Amino acid sequence: MVLETDPLPLGQWLSEALPIWLAVMGALAFGWLLLGFLISTLKNGPGKAGDNIFKLLVGAATDLVKISPRRVYALARLAVQESVRRRVLAGLGVYLVILAFAVWFLDPKSHDPATLYLSFVLTATTYLILLMALFLSAFSLPADIKSHTIYTIVTKPVRPSEIVLGRILGFAFIGTVVLAIMGLFSYVFVVRGLSHTHQVSLNDLKMVKVSGPDGAASEGTELSGFTAPEHGHRHEVVISPDGASRTDIVDGHWHEVTSSGEGADRRLTVGPPQGQFHSRVPSYGRLSFKDRQGQPTTKGINVGNEWTYRSYIEGGTRGSATWEFEGLNPQDFPDGLPMNLTIRVFRSHKGDIEKTVHGSYVLRNPSTGVTSEAANFNAKEFSIAEEVVPLKLKDSAGRSIELFRDLVDANGNLEVELVCLAPGQYFGMARPDLYLLPRETSFAGNFLKGYVSIWLQMLLITAFGVMWSTFLNGSVAMLATLSTLVMGFCVLWIRQLGRGEVIGGGPTEAAFRLVNQKSISVDLDESLPVMVMHGIDGMIGWVLLAASNLAPNFSEIAGTTYDPRAFNIPMGNATFVADGFDIPPELLLQQMIATAGFLVPIFLIGFLCLKMREVAQ
Amino acid sequence: MPPEVATAPLAANPRPVDDQVVIETRNLSKVYRDFWGRQKVRALKSLDLQVRRGEIFGLLGPNGSGKTTTIKLLLGLLFPTGGEALIFGRPATDVSKNERIGYLPEESYLYKFLNAEETLDFYGRLFDMPASVRRQRTEALIDRVGLRWAKRRQLKEYSKGMTRRIGLAQALINEPELIVLDEPTSGLDPIGTREMKDLILKLRDEGKTVLMCSHLLADVQDVCDRIAILHQGELKELGRVDTLLKVRDVTEIRTTALSDEAKAEIDAVVRRHNGSVLHVDNPTTTLEELFLSIVRDSEARPGRRATEKP
Repeated sequence: MVLETDPLPLGQWLSEALPIWLAVMGALAFGWLLLGFLISTLKNGPGKAGDNIFKLLVGAATDLVKISPRRVYALARLAVQESVRRRVLAGLGVYLVILAFAVWFLDPKSHDPATLYLSFVLTATTYLILLMALFLSAFSLPADIKSHTIYTIVTKPVRPSEIVLGRILGFAFIGTVVLAIMGLFSYVFVVRGLSHTHQVSLNDLKMVKVSGPDGAASEGTELSGFTAPEHGHRHEVVISPDGASRTDIVDGHWHEVTSSGEGADRRLTVGPPQGQFHSRVPSYGRLSFKDRQGQPTTKGINVGNEWTYRSYIEGGTRGSATWEFEGLNPQDFPDGLPMNLTIRVFRSHKGDIEKTVHGSYVLRNPSTGVTSEAANFNAKEFSIAEEVVPLKLKDSAGRSIELFRDLVDANGNLEVELVCLAPGQYFGMARPDLYLLPRETSFAGNFLKGYVSIWLQMLLITAFGVMWSTFLNGSVAMLATLSTLVMGFCVLWIRQLGRGEVIGGGPTEAAFRLVNQKSISVDLDESLPVMVMHGIDGMIGWVLLAASNLAPNFSEIAGTTYDPRAFNIPMGNATFVADGFDIPPELLLQQMIATAGFLVPIFLIGFLCLKMREVAQ
Repeated sequence: MPPEVATAPLAANPRPVDDQVVIETRNLSKVYRDFWGRQKVRALKSLDLQVRRGEIFGLLGPNGSGKTTTIKLLLGLLFPTGGEALIFGRPATDVSKNERIGYLPEESYLYKFLNAEETLDFYGRLFDMPASVRRQRTEALIDRVGLRWAKRRQLKEYSKGMTRRIGLAQALINEPELIVLDEPTSGLDPIGTREMKDLILKLRDEGKTVLMCSHLLADVQDVCDRIAILHQGELKELGRVDTLLKVRDVTEIRTTALSDEAKAEIDAVVRRHNGSVLHVDNPTTTLEELFLSIVRDSEARPGRRATEKP
């Protein structure tokens, strides 16, 4: 999980995001009132128009203040009953069928099966629940209006605010129940789908004599060998003289091996996989580079456009990357310093593709300059290399030193410098590619947090569906909700387009290039028509930027595109869960607040549209 | 419906109404427009009428005359293009007026997946009634409309008559002061029609105001105290049913049995031949005749407007 910038603390985020939200709300309210006033003025003249707007606002305020929980409950309950009648629970059946078929396609023998399984269930759940929310919410109110059942509702003392709120709450409730069941199925599917054990027989293990600590006296006999293959892999097992053992780590997990019986009856049993699912809470440092001459530089080498996110250092030179960590204290790391690396490799010559590229790192005290002995590692591309720096180690001169006494300074600062040892090859890295791991949280809890973010998206689609259906008929409301969803998935791209960051220019320039068959890489002459075209694109860009605040951001949180100061932050947290990283609680809280920030205006717009609508028209 | 209600005679004797105006329309107009705002049809033209507390008021007219539009305007389902509609002195668009209104739509637009009890409980909740009141009224109304035997069946299993009854029950859940009935006898068999009319009269006897619209003339004649006849969106006739049906240019004399001679000279010699005059009055026509004559007249002379007959 690459997250270039950490989420801001809640208070700081609110101080950045709230003004944006207020500005968008103010613009929406002003635009609405102005449009209403103009239309009413055309019909009735300005005096009557002002009177109408005033009455509408007073009536709307009354409708909001006098919302009756009992009526809202009745309408929400009705929406639930209606959903059940419309066989919404069949959606669960569809999900089970999808899971059943997924077993054929999801390969537990893959390199990282947990990520594969988790990203599948999270993605499948997201799409299915969002589609379900879309169909439920967009068709309900129009169906009531078409069948005239709404007549018996609005001729009771029911306010439009209660109708809209009741629908949203009712559909949200049924969606929550369905999502909870899907979540439960998913969890069981992933855990059971990846659960396996291996057979190991004493006959397959070789005896190895073990020396004592001093290398002289014999301490006993060790058994060493491999388990039988299962799920496309096997583990190395070493049974110590006292009988206790665990396998090595393959595909991100290991097994406990227990021994029972004596002599000829002795049996070895391999337990279920351990350490398969993670919820890492990484501690990131500040990254800086040195060029091939060893001089500090802001960035490493750019090896190609597609890798611009990561900077590269050249192997066999003095080029290096250094991470500076702050605030380390011994209490957080009683068993050493767990350090994870996700180093990318750019090969300038083929070499042996099966062989990993070697690198090394040293730890340095930024105040005293004391440096540890270099530790070698193999760069595992596209997977996480887990290293643990021991508490006692040697310095560059071979003297014994202690991690927290000698390498971490009084302020808890530590530097980790990494180099590539293979000449002609390059290591690519960004800030999140090397991090310390002070702790992990519960995987089940993180899985739940992942589902909470899906739930937030479901709430938003439900509310949008109800809002559109207050003034559009069923199929058009569904299309409008679907468009909102698609726009939500494209918010980041719309922002890039709005800021003029898309290669090939804005819509006018793109059309011009299409017609004139000009490649996007060809610069256009700064002639007057081109300047006018750029001006038009600038204005369209401004509109697009404004519009990007109107649809919730359904994209996945990703490193470079995540703007921690934006109000409309990405809602997708599936990558966190699938990649085994804890969803930061402050991020989830911000997503909840952003969801509420959308739900309030959606409710208000829906309610005002229904209030102004002649339901019998 | 209970048998005693079913067999009870119609009692269409007009009862005194008080002067309190429950419904008032002033110059009420409605124009339907298309998507582009162009006028499609002028459904109602400057309607002025008043309905007073305790009367049964009928809106009468052929299809497309504007009676359903009037009811929808009064209920706030449509917004007037011009003029105003007041219910209990409040604008028709004011939601709070619905606290005192019961409405039975032309078709019983109810949720078919609910049963009778759930339906009444649901509508009771919409009136913010506490559970105990809802339970008590649901029980009473189910008894009143005679659906106790079917109260647990989903409405989709109900016949048309049963659906009308549960529709009426939901209109009465709040013990309304004003009951608006749109084609109350539509789709009912003769017995059901009779029961519905008896119930309407009973509601009037309980002091409630009833506004109904129908094109079934016999029904209107049987139960309404006053009627308004609409045609092509205009009010063509307004007044008491008995007054409107009186034929003023004909005198009817009903006597005891007379000899043939007496019959021959009846006009001049009733008293001279010692016959006793039992009843002298204007004969009445049927509402059907009146209605057809108004429609014919309206088509022949469009634009003529009605004034209320004394």
